[in-house]
Amino acid sequence: MIETTINDRDDLIKYLHKAMVLEHATIPPYLTAYYSIHPTTNSDAAHIIRVVAVEEMLHLTLVANVLNAIGGTPDLTRPDFVPSYPTYLPDGERDFVVDLRPFSPEAVETFCKIERPALAPDGARLMPASSTATPSLVTSPTREEMRFYSIGEFYAEIIEGLQVVAAQEPDLFCGDPARQVRPEYFYSGGGQVIVVSDLNSALRALEFIAEQGEGLDGGIYDKEEELAHYYRFRQLHFGRYYQKGDSPHDAPSGPRLDIDWDAVYPVKVNAKLADYPVDSELAQVARDFNAEYFAFLGLLDTAFNGKPSLLLDAIWYMFRLRDGINRIIRNPLPGSGGLHAAPTFEMPTAVDSAPGASRGTDEAARAVAR
Amino acid sequence: MTPDALEDFLSLSVDLTAFERTDLLGTGLARQYLAKVRDACGEDVVTALLEAHRAARTEAAEDGARPDPQRLDRALRHRIFSEERLGPVARNVIKLWYAGTWYGLPPEWTDSYGAQPAAETSTVTAASYQEGLLWRAIAANPPGAKAPGYGAWARPPAIEDRYLKGRSHDRTG
Repeated sequence: MIETTINDRDDLIKYLHKAMVLEHATIPPYLTAYYSIHPTTNSDAAHIIRVVAVEEMLHLTLVANVLNAIGGTPDLTRPDFVPSYPTYLPDGERDFVVDLRPFSPEAVETFCKIERPALAPDGARLMPASSTATPSLVTSPTREEMRFYSIGEFYAEIIEGLQVVAAQEPDLFCGDPARQVRPEYFYSGGGQVIVVSDLNSALRALEFIAEQGEGLDGGIYDKEEELAHYYRFRQLHFGRYYQKGDSPHDAPSGPRLDIDWDAVYPVKVNAKLADYPVDSELAQVARDFNAEYFAFLGLLDTAFNGKPSLLLDAIWYMFRLRDGINRIIRNPLPGSGGLHAAPTFEMPTAVDSAPGASRGTDEAARAVAR
Repeated sequence: MTPDALEDFLSLSVDLTAFERTDLLGTGLARQYLAKVRDACGEDVVTALLEAHRAARTEAAEDGARPDPQRLDRALRHRIFSEERLGPVARNVIKLWYAGTWYGLPPEWTDSYGAQPAAETSTVTAASYQEGLLWRAIAANPPGAKAPGYGAWARPPAIEDRYLKGRSHDRTG
């Protein structure tokens, strides 16, 4: 018997904040691998990574909708929102490392682990956090000493908690409907956004997140007959596409998928600003990118806090971030023995950003006006 | 291609284009561009151009300090742009970075200094059009590539301060 760690609305809010951290945390690793691929090469692999990265953005938005629906306030600019890489995610008894690394077989293995959470044996959903040496990103926000067996179990806890609390608190879904991100502000982004107004829609949103990763009931396709993320990445492992009729237990039997592991910029794994030559132009560019990314999170934060129409601006903002990542990655990193630079995703601390820059409409509005 | 030649070519290109070194490397095309100039003009011309640029920087720098912008401007004009053999090549290098196209040198030039097999107007790679610096300079996307996102055209171009009128680029870096 599992003892619940979610007893009221506040607990749920804490969990959903953590879910937003988790959904976002997968995006920098996908982007780093994606943009490390030489332009016009590896188009099959690039496409697979891109589709999954975009779907993670949908997941982030869906969690924000659930959080808003129960009266929470999304916060994407607090100091621990972006993890320091390498970060650690749970995979059963052990954690696995999530790096920012170039497209490579190692990156594909990590992506497979991210997307197929292990199913815990009965009663083993939560385990003492001290059982691993590494700081898992998926600890319980209400019982800090406990960590989850897997990402899947983390979502299972939220889904069950939501049902328990909804039964106790009839006004759980008290959020302002105007704060919901609706399809007019989120489109072409990995599926249709689900507007959350009650228990039913909240459960649909969370189950969608869990299923898109690992497939429905262990099959390789999900409800929409789309290949689940885990199996998309398995194709890169095997160098072959799945086709209808393939079993999850066997290798894919579809057409060959050509991968050129060498047509990749060898970016430094988990690059930090400290790896850049002090006071160099390149270090400044990397710092500027981090500031831009932080301002972008500020824009999303404002969008998720009552101004969903700002997500339309987020689209071209993301394209500008794309150009910035490409420029950095094509620069050799001096003193690294032939490696290339990469965005570090180290967010400016309160000390080095301007007063009030941590969040709020003004900051986002300024960022948008640039 | 020696690493030194690439470094020299980047240093020259920073002074010619007013873009930073990281921007030039950020196109991913610096090596291909140097190779293109060599193929189009010959090794001797490239070597002379890089030497003239080094000399201009030395002339503009007093006592080993950073080059003075005004003096560098004058030295580049004297040693490169007004020089009959190097001037047209340097102007072509600017166009190469900005447009991603190598433009054939004027017939007067080839009559005097000889035509190379790759001297004709040509694009360098499929990526060079997209990576042309002109798009960054005017803060627009190359039409048909680097999609800026729906509605981006409704906003004024976000041109970097240093390229706005009235600001002079400090090319002493």
